[in-house]
Amino acid sequence: MKILVCVKQVPHVEGIAVKQDIDGMATLEALGAFRMNHFDEFAVEQAIHLKESMDEVHVDVITVGPEQAAHVLKRAIGMGGDEGIHLLTSTDADPAPELVAAWIAEFARSRGYDLILCGSMSEDSMCGQVGPMAAALLDLPYATQVIGMQLTRDPTGVSIEREIEGGARELVFISLPALLALQPGINMPRYPSLSNLLRANRQALEIIPTHTLEPSRAQVHCLGFQLPAHERASQVITGSAVEKAAQMAEILKAKALI
Amino acid sequence: MAESVDIMLITSCNLGRVDPGIYDLIAFGQRLQGLGAGTMGIWILGEDVDAAAQDMAERVGIRVTAVQGAGLAHYLNEAFCGVISREMEAVNPTFVCAAHTSRGWEWAPALAARMGAGCLCAVDGMVESQGRLCFQRDVYGGKVKGLYTSDAATTVITVQPGVFKFEPPAVSPPPAAVTRKQATLQTGRTRYGGVKQAAGDTSHITSAPIIVAVGNGIGDQKNMALIHRLARLFPRAEVAGSRIICDRGWLGYNRQVGVTGATVSPALYLACGISGASQHVTGMREAKFVIAINTDPRAPMFNEADICIVEDIIHFIPLIEDACAPLVNSTDQAFSDQRTN
Repeated sequence: MKILVCVKQVPHVEGIAVKQDIDGMATLEALGAFRMNHFDEFAVEQAIHLKESMDEVHVDVITVGPEQAAHVLKRAIGMGGDEGIHLLTSTDADPAPELVAAWIAEFARSRGYDLILCGSMSEDSMCGQVGPMAAALLDLPYATQVIGMQLTRDPTGVSIEREIEGGARELVFISLPALLALQPGINMPRYPSLSNLLRANRQALEIIPTHTLEPSRAQVHCLGFQLPAHERASQVITGSAVEKAAQMAEILKAKALI
Repeated sequence: MAESVDIMLITSCNLGRVDPGIYDLIAFGQRLQGLGAGTMGIWILGEDVDAAAQDMAERVGIRVTAVQGAGLAHYLNEAFCGVISREMEAVNPTFVCAAHTSRGWEWAPALAARMGAGCLCAVDGMVESQGRLCFQRDVYGGKVKGLYTSDAATTVITVQPGVFKFEPPAVSPPPAAVTRKQATLQTGRTRYGGVKQAAGDTSHITSAPIIVAVGNGIGDQKNMALIHRLARLFPRAEVAGSRIICDRGWLGYNRQVGVTGATVSPALYLACGISGASQHVTGMREAKFVIAINTDPRAPMFNEADICIVEDIIHFIPLIEDACAPLVNSTDQAFSDQRTN
């Protein structure tokens, strides 16, 4: 069985500094280190888990991004992936999901994958579109927000549970080859092992510059960022920590909440 | 046949009931019209849509297309994409809108890719900027909004529920026409297997007047005791959490607030170390009063709060306990101790 896992490198969201510009827009600066998108860790883990529980499973890991994105491929190989494929972009800009999906689909089309796994969205752009778009371009059946999966024994299909509103789960049977976008909680992602990390450092990645792929055009464009509006009073309590606690207690008392 | 419709609103109908999310979509469509978009039409997909479609057309005065077939009794992305793509080909709209639910978010991007359309998901705002129609959506966990434009001929949009509010017209609109269509389906590769209801009972948090909710800021499982202690300050408070806390097993999934958990509307929602991503906020937006405590002054949770406190909950909770102790009503305290012990 051949599995392709799609991973993305993202900035540490908590470490994003936001600066308000005079024109109402906001500038973002990534202060922390870049890392593997949290959602994608579950996809890598699921692939490695399948590799451990069945014979003859091969796990390729693919990413789209600038040179430094190679780190997430190494991490995925460190977790137990076999090969890394880097669709190398020439800028640091986050390409639109339709471009990423088109590039991944073009790469995957001739490689005969039985299963393509990805995370349900990325922490930075939060689009959740690459998976379903790539599936459509490859004409594969797919499911998103997958929180449980069980391959048939042959394996020609997969029974999945996908999360819907209110914590209920929808059960769907999907024939292979297929693409699944996984939800956090489907497994417990492991840490990379030292021996695998050493192998990842020695091993060459397959590097494909995106400009050598079929040209495609982004249809949606991110013009920039804005600070969100306050939905409520958002009154900020000031003072020392003890003073803040005292004020909070007074507010609770005044509202008869304690 | 191919009457001109500029905005297609897509919804579904289950057991004779149209998804109430349609009203948010109508409000969204009206906003689009206010910024220059043309005629709006509603498409309702389901097994038996007739009566519901008629009722909808009369109620809102917007043209309805009822697409029905046995294969639409249950949602399958394959069936939805197939049906909607054929309708899109016939209508050639500028916008195709659906609710940003687990289902809408599943089929919309695939539909867009298949049709060569643009796609924007989880849109929660719309502005005109430099003569261009721009859409807003959360990025970076809701810390900032991204401002997007589309230059595609058709753009598929999933609309964040609960943001665009429908105002029923003061005077009943003249009833609009209903078009009925039989769906032809190709669903060979996926098969619907039913719905499994949520594992746990969430009634304790959905009925709680006070919710002490915990997020990633708690850091370590051993700190969870602080949250339980904080909840004990209040009469009839329940502890709830964001997704990540339940994924780690620190709270049961029946205590998760958000899109995939419970929707709550307590008198007080005390958000401790919760960043406030839209998936969480959707579940607590109706709370009467919200206090948020977080170390990050830019945490999106603060935008949803009445009172904002920039502190580390680990150090701050003991201070709240100290400050509240002299104020707590002794009978309530006795009641609370009795209940939680």
